[in-house]
Amino acid sequence: MAKPTVVVVGADKGGVGKTTVARTLLDYFTAHHLPTRAFDTESPRGTLRRFHPDISEIVDATSVSDQMRIFDTLSTTDASVTVIDVRAGLLSPMLRSLRDIGFLDAVKKGQLNFAVFHILGSSIASLNEIEETAAFAADGRYILVKNFINDTNFFEWDQATHASYFRKFKDAVEISVPKLNEMAFEQVELASVPFLTFVANKGPKGESANYSFVLRGYVRHWLSNVWSEYDRIKITDIVSSGGVASGPRVQVVGRS
Amino acid sequence: MAQPAPLYIVASPRPRNGKTLIARLLLEFLRQSRRPAVGYDLNPREPALAERFPKLVWPVDIADTRGQMELFDRLLADPASTQLIDLGYGPFDQFFAVMGEIGFLPEARRRRIEPIVLFVADSSGATARSYAQLQRRLAATFVPIHNEHVMLMFDKEDFPPTRPEYGLIRIPRLSPLVRGVIDRPNFSFNAYMAKQAGGPTEVHQWIGNVYHEFREFELHLLMGKLSSSLGGATAPKRQSRRLR
Repeated sequence: MAKPTVVVVGADKGGVGKTTVARTLLDYFTAHHLPTRAFDTESPRGTLRRFHPDISEIVDATSVSDQMRIFDTLSTTDASVTVIDVRAGLLSPMLRSLRDIGFLDAVKKGQLNFAVFHILGSSIASLNEIEETAAFAADGRYILVKNFINDTNFFEWDQATHASYFRKFKDAVEISVPKLNEMAFEQVELASVPFLTFVANKGPKGESANYSFVLRGYVRHWLSNVWSEYDRIKITDIVSSGGVASGPRVQVVGRS
Repeated sequence: MAQPAPLYIVASPRPRNGKTLIARLLLEFLRQSRRPAVGYDLNPREPALAERFPKLVWPVDIADTRGQMELFDRLLADPASTQLIDLGYGPFDQFFAVMGEIGFLPEARRRRIEPIVLFVADSSGATARSYAQLQRRLAATFVPIHNEHVMLMFDKEDFPPTRPEYGLIRIPRLSPLVRGVIDRPNFSFNAYMAKQAGGPTEVHQWIGNVYHEFREFELHLLMGKLSSSLGGATAPKRQSRRLR
């Protein structure tokens, strides 16, 4: 059996698109046939769970009993990948907790795979967050995500400042999530289905839907670009190291 | 098996080279042959085609997503009609960009709709480059239109059709007299052709020549499809009368 993999998606700032990125990851793992479960820490009302109800649970990341639900089950669950969508402001505390419970030691010993997707905002404060967060991901993979989906302009990042920060974290990789057509994004929100399900023109229960072909096309194109970024950094290698070999590139396809 | 329904896209990246006139002629030609036809006018500022055919042609502005849905979703929803787009030079780039991004061409083919770009040529090098780029980018059928009113000599090297046997569609030069007649607001090519009380006029002859070009083109299109489905033997080449 493959080593369990934990993927944490978070940021200390709110509204930077953490859940959107988590949703694209769940779609990506589904398309690669990697058994995946997700935890939504937007307790008590989860956003991620609305889109992926079959594989996600809402948890309170600050409660010990919920931390046990996530981490004590890593070796017993059927899912080889666990994605945790961390609520705004909880990324650093959660990573500290992972250190305190010995999770990061297990990663260091090679018993677990670990990746942090740190979603960056446009401000310098986001760059300051990197320093703190990166230290916890030293033995896993640290992925910095510039998310343009909500039209973020990384205007405060002049090239020199950007370079000075990134030089410090040689193992960090950077990916960009492009903007998605606003109306398409809104329609997926209304449909409350995974992006992949929307592209395939299906409803929440797998029934045929009647979404606009234009909007589905925009989502397919966007998701394909996001997945190209995941392919570029070889996510499947991260989640399958020590276990299943990564497969060929999977394309976003969907027909009505 | 029934042939796919054509979707004619009358296009050019430049203004004032007769796109709307050609779209008018083609629409009336389709109606004359009693085929269900519907048109879309993508000239948001001056939807001249939609104004002439208010019951057949819909003006659409594809500048925003809502307009794009209005156009592309409707095109896919109607595989039974022959559809026609009068693509103004303004939305030219955006139209083909959206078409590529949303994956319209494979979906149209899956629904048995055959997009055919009728590209109005002119003497500008930029137009020829645009034609070549589009042909490389999009797996649609491309056929050049030689509008003699816009360009007297046509260089076939600059505007090769998707298959050699498709040739080109030639729109004969208009005399000022003919132009004055057909530009009248309520003028109908078919209605005019039906009335020949005093014998055929120059206008009759001009319309007849254009319809003949359309008929020949459709025939060669059909023969091209049949020959490719039968294993690739090419249809006889069209005799283009004004090729250099």
